[in-house]
Amino acid sequence: MPLTKHTVYPGRGLGMWAFWLHRLTGLAIAVYLLMHILVISTVVGGAGNFNEAMKFLKAPIFILLEMGLLAIILIHGFNGARIVLFDLGYGVKKQKPIFIALMALAIIPFVIAFAVALPHIFV
Amino acid sequence: MSQTVTLRIYRRDPDLDAAPKYQNYQIELTPGLTVLMALYHVLENVDKTLAFRASCRSAVCGSCGMHINGKNMLACETQLAPLGNEVLIEPLPHLPVLKDLAVDMTRFWDKYEKVRPYLIALKAPPPSGKERLQSVEDRKKIDEFIDCILCACCHTSCSTAWWDKEYLGPAALAKMYRFVADSRDEGGAERLQIAAREDGVFRCHTIFNCTEECPKKIPITFGIQEIKKRVLWGKLAGRM
Ligand code: FES
Repeated sequence: MPLTKHTVYPGRGLGMWAFWLHRLTGLAIAVYLLMHILVISTVVGGAGNFNEAMKFLKAPIFILLEMGLLAIILIHGFNGARIVLFDLGYGVKKQKPIFIALMALAIIPFVIAFAVALPHIFV
Repeated sequence: MSQTVTLRIYRRDPDLDAAPKYQNYQIELTPGLTVLMALYHVLENVDKTLAFRASCRSAVCGSCGMHINGKNMLACETQLAPLGNEVLIEPLPHLPVLKDLAVDMTRFWDKYEKVRPYLIALKAPPPSGKERLQSVEDRKKIDEFIDCILCACCHTSCSTAWWDKEYLGPAALAKMYRFVADSRDEGGAERLQIAAREDGVFRCHTIFNCTEECPKKIPITFGIQEIKKRVLWGKLAGRM
């Protein structure tokens, strides 16, 4: 694609991917927060209303979506730690291995959570 | 059998063309042909109206920074053969185009000037009247950053510099770090004040495009983060 069509530099380094991943997961989390507030606000209509909403959200599809949410939060959180590290001046020259290591580390809590959620997804 | 390569070159004269166009030139591949030599071949034999900047032909002057096949690099040190049968050559991105591959570097130099890119020495020169000496270890600290040839490959690949026209950008900040880390320089406090401003180091989001694109392999992001660290701890300790 010719450069004149780009609005962002077409960088292909790992740092650029990490940057995109961080922005996109950040946006997704913001959208989730809105939905979360929406769900919680059903309590205004009384306990019955709220319980109804909670029961609805117990459906396997929502548990599966929550797994997606967890993945997004883990990526954003672990990469956030990497950014803080760099901003404090540590590990900048090792940015690539640090990114890969942190993403690998993020898989561990995800696998544990998935194992716990599995029986609720396939009921 | 001779092999030909198609150069697909960005063409625009802002006085005449509203939009850029891409023009193809066929060129015969000869051993050792660089992108710059290919451009000279076009200029001398095919199209005298083609505009680009170059001077040293040996990766020293920093004039020939271009966007080649989607990456900022120096045309003079880049071999044409490995780039494929069709090579896309465009000006450095996000600077105003003067003509074809030549961009207006005013904004780049303005920022360069802002970091005071020269030795600030407050103490009197040594009694010998000769140069200010530096230990081998101290010199090592600035080895990489001294290599900068100001080609603007980093600056024009920085996403923040694309979006924020005021941001000092990687080239100016790398130059600042070159002096901040220099044992002979005494402008440190003043330099850090410039770096701490709204348009300074804290605009860097550690995307590392500058470090990726630097033809001299300077760890530019490292330099920016080193300044950031100094500003941060300076502020926290109440020193600035
Ligand atoms: S012509 Fe001097 S750096 Fe390429």
